[in-house]
Amino acid sequence: MDFTFEEEQRLAAQSLRALLDDHCTGADLRRAAEALDFESYRAACATRAGKLAELGLAGMLIPDSQGGLGLGPADFVLLAEEAGWAALPEPLVESEGVANVLLAELTRHDAAAGEVLGEVLAGSALVLCAPPGVDVVSSIGLADYLLTGAHDGELAVYRTSELAIESATSVDPLRRLGRIRQLPGRPLASLGGEAARLAWQAAEARSAVFTAAQLLGLAARMTALAVAYALERKQFGRVIAANQAVKHQLADVQIRTEFARPVVYAASAAPGGVRAAHALIAAGDAAQLAAQTAIQVHGAMGYSWEVDLQFYAKRAWALTGLQGGRTVQFRRVHTALRDGALPIGPDRLFDQVSLQGAQP
Amino acid sequence: MAIDLKYTARQQALRSEVRGWLAANVPTKPLPSFDTEAGFEAHRQWEATLNAGRWSMVTWPTEYGGRGLDLIEWLIFEEEYYRADAPFRVNQNGVFLFGPTLMEYGTPEQKARFLPRLASGEDIWAQVWSEPQAGSDLAALRTTAIRDGDEYVLNGHKIWSTRAVYADWGFGLFRTDPTSERHRGLSYLAVPLRTPGIRVRGIAQLDGKSGFAEIFFEDARVPANNLIGAEGQGWSIAMATAGFERGLMLRSPARFQRTAQRLVELYRLHAADCDPGTEAAVTQCWMDAESYALATYMTASRLIAGGSIGAEASLNKVFWSELDLAMHRAALAILGARAELREAPGVESGAVDDACRWMDGFLFSLAGPIYAGANEIQRNIIAERVLGLPKG
Repeated sequence: MDFTFEEEQRLAAQSLRALLDDHCTGADLRRAAEALDFESYRAACATRAGKLAELGLAGMLIPDSQGGLGLGPADFVLLAEEAGWAALPEPLVESEGVANVLLAELTRHDAAAGEVLGEVLAGSALVLCAPPGVDVVSSIGLADYLLTGAHDGELAVYRTSELAIESATSVDPLRRLGRIRQLPGRPLASLGGEAARLAWQAAEARSAVFTAAQLLGLAARMTALAVAYALERKQFGRVIAANQAVKHQLADVQIRTEFARPVVYAASAAPGGVRAAHALIAAGDAAQLAAQTAIQVHGAMGYSWEVDLQFYAKRAWALTGLQGGRTVQFRRVHTALRDGALPIGPDRLFDQVSLQGAQP
Repeated sequence: MAIDLKYTARQQALRSEVRGWLAANVPTKPLPSFDTEAGFEAHRQWEATLNAGRWSMVTWPTEYGGRGLDLIEWLIFEEEYYRADAPFRVNQNGVFLFGPTLMEYGTPEQKARFLPRLASGEDIWAQVWSEPQAGSDLAALRTTAIRDGDEYVLNGHKIWSTRAVYADWGFGLFRTDPTSERHRGLSYLAVPLRTPGIRVRGIAQLDGKSGFAEIFFEDARVPANNLIGAEGQGWSIAMATAGFERGLMLRSPARFQRTAQRLVELYRLHAADCDPGTEAAVTQCWMDAESYALATYMTASRLIAGGSIGAEASLNKVFWSELDLAMHRAALAILGARAELREAPGVESGAVDDACRWMDGFLFSLAGPIYAGANEIQRNIIAERVLGLPKG
């Protein structure tokens, strides 16, 4: 039993933080958000995208037997948190944390996907995924391949250039949504049955945990922005941060954030089931509270387009709706408790059964 | 791989050992409340039983009768303890607050004099801090302890001292320099409560029982060798105690996990009658109890790896106290009209007992956001020392 991160994992997160501090500033986000078309958007992001590629994260979570680095979700969770902290526009989490592992799984069943996997490992292709039935994908314009399925229970890979995609608009101008209108007749590789179902289930579990991690980073960032503003803004002859009404609101955000953190980290050690749902709910609630409180602390400035806070708040609002949002995740936890499917009690915290819990 | 959330074979063996011992020794019938004289003595006896099995002070070093368990092992012990519905610890303040303070600041003579009797339950300790004019603002305290030869002479008035009605000893802060102000000139003293010149008067709590007391000092003489640490060092020692209290050990997560489990079980019995708001509250409470437990494991791991706990202890205190309140509120909502019953002729006694337990627990949970530093103060600490906001 050791609930701490290794030095190496912390260092990896620190180097990503350093890179994003330089190349993913509020001004960088604003430039990308205000880009008039996709080409100027890409241009605004080009330097950062290049720097990210140099980090050598490609294939991080892909098994070493398939040419990846063979690391686990707990090695990635702090990186996902940094992506949230910076409101990173690039789909690092969605590709490296979720889709690439899914692609590796597909390749183990259908060798035809091996070529795509090779491109991913070489860093020359970007893969994203959308579970069957989900037709809206963030950053799809940047992707070379999409993992999806024509029907429930299918896992298939398509070239994005062969998909009919129309753009969709998000509240978060940096998510660059696309809606898949139609899939081509034949995928490059595909898988069905139980294997596909399990692969999607694992991908959704990773996605839940890493989305939660991003929300954790976003919550902390919005708290930091609100603290900085409260220390600077003066009214009645003193900084507004000296007012207990302001302090207690921010303390409440800190409490929600810090008690979501261990749930997210624990979920990263074994993504899935009720704990992943709990992580998504807890981090989502923290981020929602952080957004609302930070806007309130900023006063009228908080409601203006001019303040960078909006980029973090909008990312939080977009991410909290994923995977059915709080409603679906909460119902998952509630149903498991109601039906007695979950062993509960003081001695069951790390029970493997309770970690997996009831799947929907 | 980091983040290893599996117990080692040794940890599992400890769990089995604790479980076996508790199964054989926990009283089958719940003890009467320790806020009554008979209940207090029954709980004192339970402390002796625990001590005989060397389970009373598991984290204490073996030289003081403990087992030298680390914090993860302590969490396992606590999980089993609450799983077994073992009696609450009447010597809680002695075990978790005074004991560790004494180990850090006491002389060898004091340790030998106090620790074994504390461990065995022969001496039950109460915390003697607050005064009528010094609550959240503890540094405003005025009760004096003036050195006279090899004694201190105590004069003043302490209040809200939990379990002091029946306790044998008190530990607390006194002004040894009558000209001093605020945090200076305070000293930390161990005070035998059955001393001439000390009068303890119980104060009825919300539940009608005398769970806390006020203490009047009129020229009460206490041996000078009861001074813990140096004269004038009291404030910093007290703050160390406050760290233990709010930090990890005052309220182990197992207590809340057990309450959450009982809440879920209660909900399952009455699921058909529950409104969606109550259902949501039950689920939220269960998740929050899990969050608190996971947070404690994370902190414990960090401390074992050499880290320390500072102002973030205030996050814990706010979180568990508000969680406890929320759990009991949810239970009362499920129980509806049954919740108010104290006794009900003709109703199956088990059902009434359970309802009473929730109402008693609810009344007690209302104290949580107040004791051990009111939550308003904790939120100030979080804002100032964790987030870096200025004092108001």
